[in-house]
Amino acid sequence: MSTEPFKNVSLIAQSNQLLGLYTIIRDKNTSRPDFIFYSDRIIRLLVEEGLNHLPVKETIVETETNEKFDGVSFMGKICGVSIVRAGESMEQGLRDCCRSVRIGKILIQRDEETALPKLFYEKLPDDISERYVFLLDPMLATGGSAIMATDVLIKRGVKPERIFFLNLICSKEGIDKYHAAFPDVRIVTGAVDKGLDENKYLIPGLGDFGDRYYCI
Amino acid sequence: MSNVVDESNFLSPMMDGGSGSMITKERRRSSVISMESGKTKYMPPWTTPYIIGIGGTSGSGKTSVAAKIVSSIDVPWTVLISMDNFYKPLNQEDRKRAFANEYDFDEPAAIDTDLAYECILSLKEGKKTTIPVYSFINHNRDPDKSINIYGASVIIIEGLYALYDKRLMDLMDLKIFVDADLDVCLARRLSRDIVSRGRDLAGCIQQWERFVKPDAVKYIRPTMGNADAIVPSLADNSVAVQLLISHIRIKLRLKSQEHLSELIKLGNSDLRDISTLNTVHVLEQTNQVRSIMTMLLDKNLKRDDFVFYFDRISSILVSNALNDIPIKELVTIETPEGNTINDAIKCDFNSVMAVNIIRSGDCFMRSLKNTIPSIVIGKLLIQSDSQTGEPQLHCEFLPPEIKEYKTVFLMEAHIITGAASIMAIQVLLDHDIPLENIKLVVFIATELGIKRILNAFNDKINIFAGKIVTTKEIQNEGCEWSITKFIDTRYFGCN
Repeated sequence: MSTEPFKNVSLIAQSNQLLGLYTIIRDKNTSRPDFIFYSDRIIRLLVEEGLNHLPVKETIVETETNEKFDGVSFMGKICGVSIVRAGESMEQGLRDCCRSVRIGKILIQRDEETALPKLFYEKLPDDISERYVFLLDPMLATGGSAIMATDVLIKRGVKPERIFFLNLICSKEGIDKYHAAFPDVRIVTGAVDKGLDENKYLIPGLGDFGDRYYCI
Repeated sequence: MSNVVDESNFLSPMMDGGSGSMITKERRRSSVISMESGKTKYMPPWTTPYIIGIGGTSGSGKTSVAAKIVSSIDVPWTVLISMDNFYKPLNQEDRKRAFANEYDFDEPAAIDTDLAYECILSLKEGKKTTIPVYSFINHNRDPDKSINIYGASVIIIEGLYALYDKRLMDLMDLKIFVDADLDVCLARRLSRDIVSRGRDLAGCIQQWERFVKPDAVKYIRPTMGNADAIVPSLADNSVAVQLLISHIRIKLRLKSQEHLSELIKLGNSDLRDISTLNTVHVLEQTNQVRSIMTMLLDKNLKRDDFVFYFDRISSILVSNALNDIPIKELVTIETPEGNTINDAIKCDFNSVMAVNIIRSGDCFMRSLKNTIPSIVIGKLLIQSDSQTGEPQLHCEFLPPEIKEYKTVFLMEAHIITGAASIMAIQVLLDHDIPLENIKLVVFIATELGIKRILNAFNDKINIFAGKIVTTKEIQNEGCEWSITKFIDTRYFGCN
């Protein structure tokens, strides 16, 4: 869980397994079923890493053998917020860990006139300000839409240190830009890519995640 | 539980009909590997099987004595092997003579004693062994059939010449000769050959006079002198058989006591701190792991929550055990945007298989399948004897090409004494899986159990545990839950 050289970034352990999973999803020749399956596996690891950061309180339970066991339980409520459309691919991974989790949506699209991201739609739980929020978006390239989405959350009263931004791939530029705006949001990721090309795509990246997950 | 194997009878799942008849090659290869990866300190019951030889003339009642012994000693994995399986395959000329009842099946030379010795020796060494099947209809070894035997703790070899070859007899712990008058033998033989083997009366009588009787007198009756005990067959022999059975029982009890005490000894004097070993990987006790553990230990947790959260933690465990999967190769790939990645790590997830110890290992089934959808899953049924607590191997279902897998996960939800895991690991070693390819994955384990496993296999086995409860914790805090099986009971919802 190294955070070097970034603060407040959880990079999941770069094991053979994880690197092998990334090789599969980055390869353009990977079939869609495989892309979905192996992306889902990485998403699961991201969600689990995110859950590790939630606070717990001491709890005593009684075991089958009628003994007291000093354990812990999660405090507070969580919710997921996905950035439509690609972020929705990560909802199932969250649901697989937290069955009845509430999931809000934020739709941000590039405005054709200004070429800037524009908020089109948001639907969030009413009590979101009391919750820990898992913000879901698979790629952090320039950070434009993630910053806008986080801004929506903060305006709704969510505390920045209670937001966890989960993505599969990010860039150094994206992390810097995002953290310049929200230094207290923890980024949970599995890969930090070299940089961005002239079109602001990640290098090497894996193509358009939403297209590969939903369309092609 | 006991099972009888002869040419027509292989009831147990441990004896699967296979097509391989390369018994010599198979065995030698196994022995070599066992020398390399061997030197383990654990001796499972099947590396010291109790071998009983039962000889006697044709029709003397060997089979019925053997059957009585098998049904009276309550040991899983009693195997009855007929020497008939080792008849030499006949060439075309001999086969013609055999069909004309002119071939002497009753002389010692008709039996491939070398092969019989090799097979029994291989069984005595605890190896998986292939026994040929002889077809009396074709008077030849059946090319499509063979019997694989593995894990027997009692082996009974029955046949005319069971007590003939010195090498074979040296492997036996008890030698029994069943004695019957030859006229009784003839009567039994006629009814058997005509009714069950489809021969005609004249041929049978011709064979008896020409071969069976003279051979019995010349070769078989003298082997009576090699026997430890001679059982009469004409009258009621139940007293004699009971005496033998009592003797065998005492010997087996001693053997099982030795096995148990060896198991208990392993690890008892081991005072190391196992958390420093690089083969023992305990799941990082993160907030998430601790909170799931707390829920699973709560007796008031509803069953569907128990199943859900066990699946959660087992997914974490399985994924954790997969982290250092061997790299298959480094490849160059291209991303959809046309970027090239050199030396990308490629792992072959299908080179991983799992073996579940029934029943608790089956709790991992779902997480295994969710992690590697097409994963091959073998099974081992190992149960503790209700009276002595001795672990006993009842069944093994393993893929034939098990050696091809680079990683074998051995799954067990809860390790208390470590006995079943030790036995399971030994089964995998006997199937030529190198120790370093085996990863034992367990949810809750006691320190003592883990130490026994480590000691039995010289610390070479990789263990991935959700939580290890130390001996100190058990002494100071009770932790009764860590030494009480509850996981599979809760997961499957029945005792």
